[in-house]
Amino acid sequence: MGNGLSDSDAVIVADGVSKKFRLYKDKPSSLKEMVTSLKGVHYEEFWALQDVSLSIPAGSTYGLIGPNGSGKSTLLRLFARIHRPTKGRITTTGRVSALLDLGAGFHPELSGRENVFLNASILGLGPREVSRAFDDIVDFAGLAEFIDSPVKVYSTGMYVRLGFSVAVHVKPDILIIDEVIAVGDAEFQRRCFDHLYTLKRQGVTVVLVSHSMAIMQDMCDRLAWLDHGHLAAEGRPMEVIREYIRHVDDQEAERLLDGESADGGAGSRRLGSHEIEFESLHILNAAGEQIPMAVTGEPITLRLNYVAKKPVEDPTFGITIEHENGTPLAMLHTGDSIETGTVYGRGHIDYRIPRFPLMPGKMIVSLGIADRSNTHAYDYLHQWLELHVRPGDDVVPRGLVEFSGDWTAPTSDETRELTG
Amino acid sequence: MLESASELWGYRNLIRNLAQRELKAKYKKSILGWAWSLINPAATLLIYTLVFGTFLRIQPPVAGNGHLKSFALYLFAALIIWNYFNAAINGGMASLVSAGPMIKKVYFPAEYTVIAANLASLLQAFIESLILAGVMVAFGNVAPTFLFFPVILALLAPFCLGIALIASLLNAYFRDVTYIVTIGMNLLFYVTPIIYPLRIIPKSKAGIPIRTIISLNPLAKFVQASRDVFYGIKLPTVGTMAYLLLFSVGLFLLGWSVFSRFARDVAEEL
Repeated sequence: MGNGLSDSDAVIVADGVSKKFRLYKDKPSSLKEMVTSLKGVHYEEFWALQDVSLSIPAGSTYGLIGPNGSGKSTLLRLFARIHRPTKGRITTTGRVSALLDLGAGFHPELSGRENVFLNASILGLGPREVSRAFDDIVDFAGLAEFIDSPVKVYSTGMYVRLGFSVAVHVKPDILIIDEVIAVGDAEFQRRCFDHLYTLKRQGVTVVLVSHSMAIMQDMCDRLAWLDHGHLAAEGRPMEVIREYIRHVDDQEAERLLDGESADGGAGSRRLGSHEIEFESLHILNAAGEQIPMAVTGEPITLRLNYVAKKPVEDPTFGITIEHENGTPLAMLHTGDSIETGTVYGRGHIDYRIPRFPLMPGKMIVSLGIADRSNTHAYDYLHQWLELHVRPGDDVVPRGLVEFSGDWTAPTSDETRELTG
Repeated sequence: MLESASELWGYRNLIRNLAQRELKAKYKKSILGWAWSLINPAATLLIYTLVFGTFLRIQPPVAGNGHLKSFALYLFAALIIWNYFNAAINGGMASLVSAGPMIKKVYFPAEYTVIAANLASLLQAFIESLILAGVMVAFGNVAPTFLFFPVILALLAPFCLGIALIASLLNAYFRDVTYIVTIGMNLLFYVTPIIYPLRIIPKSKAGIPIRTIISLNPLAKFVQASRDVFYGIKLPTVGTMAYLLLFSVGLFLLGWSVFSRFARDVAEEL
């Protein structure tokens, strides 16, 4: 610090970094299994990163973008020294604090307080330094009441809040943050970003991953775009994002031309990377039985059946309903209202409607599963299904929607004699 | 090695926290809590004394003060060594896997979990030795040789750490190791002269000098050294100490180098 020269020095340098993982098909975890499986190769090798070189200047905020599985998180783990590069070298200068996952390295049985001390000591703080920072950590996380409860009873949001709070209060020189802040509520996210700006002003180097291009453009001084483990572009945020988005659009156009958009009706098409896919949409009545048509004014549940081939973190599920005449009627998505968690395998998610509000007719349904920030589509079925609505017992079928309001009896606002 | 030592000093606060975690987690949700760490060895001592001292009438030698003859105290001096060895190996072995969730998310040298588990057991052994010394004083078997016990512990600690480092690593890759070690410990307990004096082993059987073989077990020498200072109130021979030093340093270096070599990518296995 002090002179301008050292400020521009790189604090993280990746030099020709490659990382190979073994994907075990059926990992032997006992000697017996190992002996019996000696004949066949039971893992596949997978290069998560290939020949990535970049350097991150001191005091800068550096972003990594790219689709899921492009190697962003792996690169962060290498920066944080959790994994070693298979080839190449990574050099970091200064104290590195990382928040890579929910509750960065908390021990579930220990209380919030004990975890704060344990975590801070991992990052090299002495007991006196931790005591000094402790109140700030708890205040920032807003967990004063729960600090002596074991963290296993914490909600996802509480985990993230405490994890973030510890990570930023240990006086790091380099702060590494995977896309975990997105889990917290809007208010906490705002405070996180405010705090990141404060750290940035204090000269802390921040490395972060986000799917939100708006955040990346806003916060970062430089961006690196990773694609299938390769460094696709590196430079000023505007340019890298523009290139990235152009590339994403190209790919979608390619997919369309490849004819992946078969079935369905006239205007229907299917897009996405298909780590997770829809299987069907079921309409259920109040008793939970599957019915062929929705009924106006009745309780209806829309059940989305999906199958995830890989674990997918916090997907956003969405349903869009249009009238057959093209009028958009509703857009329902999990978005901020719930945390979907990690989904894997076959499953379903329900949307419950106490009184189904649409008048009888034919509706066109689009379904989508996207990532948390709604920028990457896993599976998107545009105008894929028809949803038929039949009249309920006491509904006069006119118009598009049935309001579930009530009339009150007439009440006069003035006193007038009834004469003549 | 020198680099590791300075890194170790930088992380001293972490090691203390990890060791505290070991101690706290052990007796969590038990009403008597810490008391169990004393009730447990006391119960073992009582049971063994009853079975081997009273029922099987194993005769202890006369203690250093010339008149005390107590199987319980003779056993106690040996059990201190065994309890520590057992706790350090089992605790150290499990510590790496149990710290898995942390190791996968933040970087710190993985061997510190094993070191911390060892220190937690060491504290226990030290407390037990104070109790033993107190009891010996009460029975009038006192000598400055008691003060030599920390030296024995100082050799036993790296000895145990070396084994625990290797066991913890193997355990991370193959969970079978836990069961193999359990069997191994059981065997080791009975082939080490703990509940019996070495002299009841026949000198040789079928031409095999079994007494010599059993006495060459370094753990047997540690047990003998502890009995010397507490029960026999004499110092272990220089030969014994040299023998123990050799094993202590050797196993420690072996464990440390195996661990440094193979634990680098342990985060991917946990």
